[in-house]
Amino acid sequence: MTLRPLFAALAVVALAGCATDPAPTEQMRLTQQALEQANAVGANTDESPELKLAEEKFARAQGNMADQSYKHARMRAEQAELDARLAEAKVLTGKSQEQLNVVNTRIARLRKQLQLGEAQ
Amino acid sequence: MIRGVSVALLLSSAVLGGCASQPSSEQALQQAGNDFQSVKEDANVLRFAPKDVIRAGESLARADRLSSYWGSGADVVHYAYLSQRYSAIAREHTEQGLNAERLAKLELERQRLQLALRESKLASVQQQGKWVEQQIASLTTQTERGLVMTLGDVLFDTGEAELQNSANRTVLKVVQFLQLNPRRKVRIEGYTDDTGGERDNLNLSRDRAQSVADVLIDLGIDEKRIQVEGYGDKYPVEANASERGRAQNRRVEIVFSDEKGQLGAAR
Repeated sequence: MTLRPLFAALAVVALAGCATDPAPTEQMRLTQQALEQANAVGANTDESPELKLAEEKFARAQGNMADQSYKHARMRAEQAELDARLAEAKVLTGKSQEQLNVVNTRIARLRKQLQLGEAQ
Repeated sequence: MIRGVSVALLLSSAVLGGCASQPSSEQALQQAGNDFQSVKEDANVLRFAPKDVIRAGESLARADRLSSYWGSGADVVHYAYLSQRYSAIAREHTEQGLNAERLAKLELERQRLQLALRESKLASVQQQGKWVEQQIASLTTQTERGLVMTLGDVLFDTGEAELQNSANRTVLKVVQFLQLNPRRKVRIEGYTDDTGGERDNLNLSRDRAQSVADVLIDLGIDEKRIQVEGYGDKYPVEANASERGRAQNRRVEIVFSDEKGQLGAAR
């Protein structure tokens, strides 16, 4: 019977660790928003492993919400949010790189024309 | 007793299983720490993405703090993950900022080159203009009626008004000259020798002058800039007594106005 306090303590730890979190509705909303933003800039799951992760984690977070497993829901939603933000950032970096390429091409063309002009 | 122990063990393993069975939290902490270190030491990252760096640091500190508590492995891994994501996002934002700076520099370079190209094209047009002017000068003579270019008899078939292809080169120079000097006007005057009837000669001289005008108009010269006259066998430049003289008299003359568009009066 000396084990009973330990048993109780363990139960408390388990509850404290996993089951007493409030429902992370604000985080779920934030994650949803981050996913929408990533989609809005043109990220898609075929090209972005980060976005795929984000969607998978968000789906599981929604499942956790339904099961009232709020700690898991929060953690997955938090990770999904940053996965989505990284996906968005990578798309935007790619776009800025494309812009650079376009201007570089134009500059090369201008230089070529200038050289042709001098050769004449 | 035994039963109690086994239940406790089961429970504790459930706790561990539920929250801590992911990759070693120590390893996760290590990786997140490395990533944070490298963004923190990058001056560009600090310049473009200070907020992301702060968040990466905060998440890392949290993971670090949690790592000293028993049974919090999953939380350590979680915050280490968030920290790594913030570091990665910081890198992306930095790259975007650097690209924007590069773009601004390249835009300036592009504008500079565009200007240079425009100037070089302009210079070449000016050169071309000088060349055309020289050509026109060599093909015309200055008279009291103004600058006059004579298109000889050989440019028309006998009795026909249509201009031959051999006149193309000369006509093109006239067109270029008129395009480069948009205020100048021309009067195109047709002349014949004295063989044939006066009426026919007048018509033929007019038709020949008109066909030269038509070519200029077809090549883009505004018809308002062109007057057409037919003088028949009047105003011969040579006596009509010899074949050579008659050939000289069969001609079309293009009279150019001055630069302001002032054209001498018609004959």
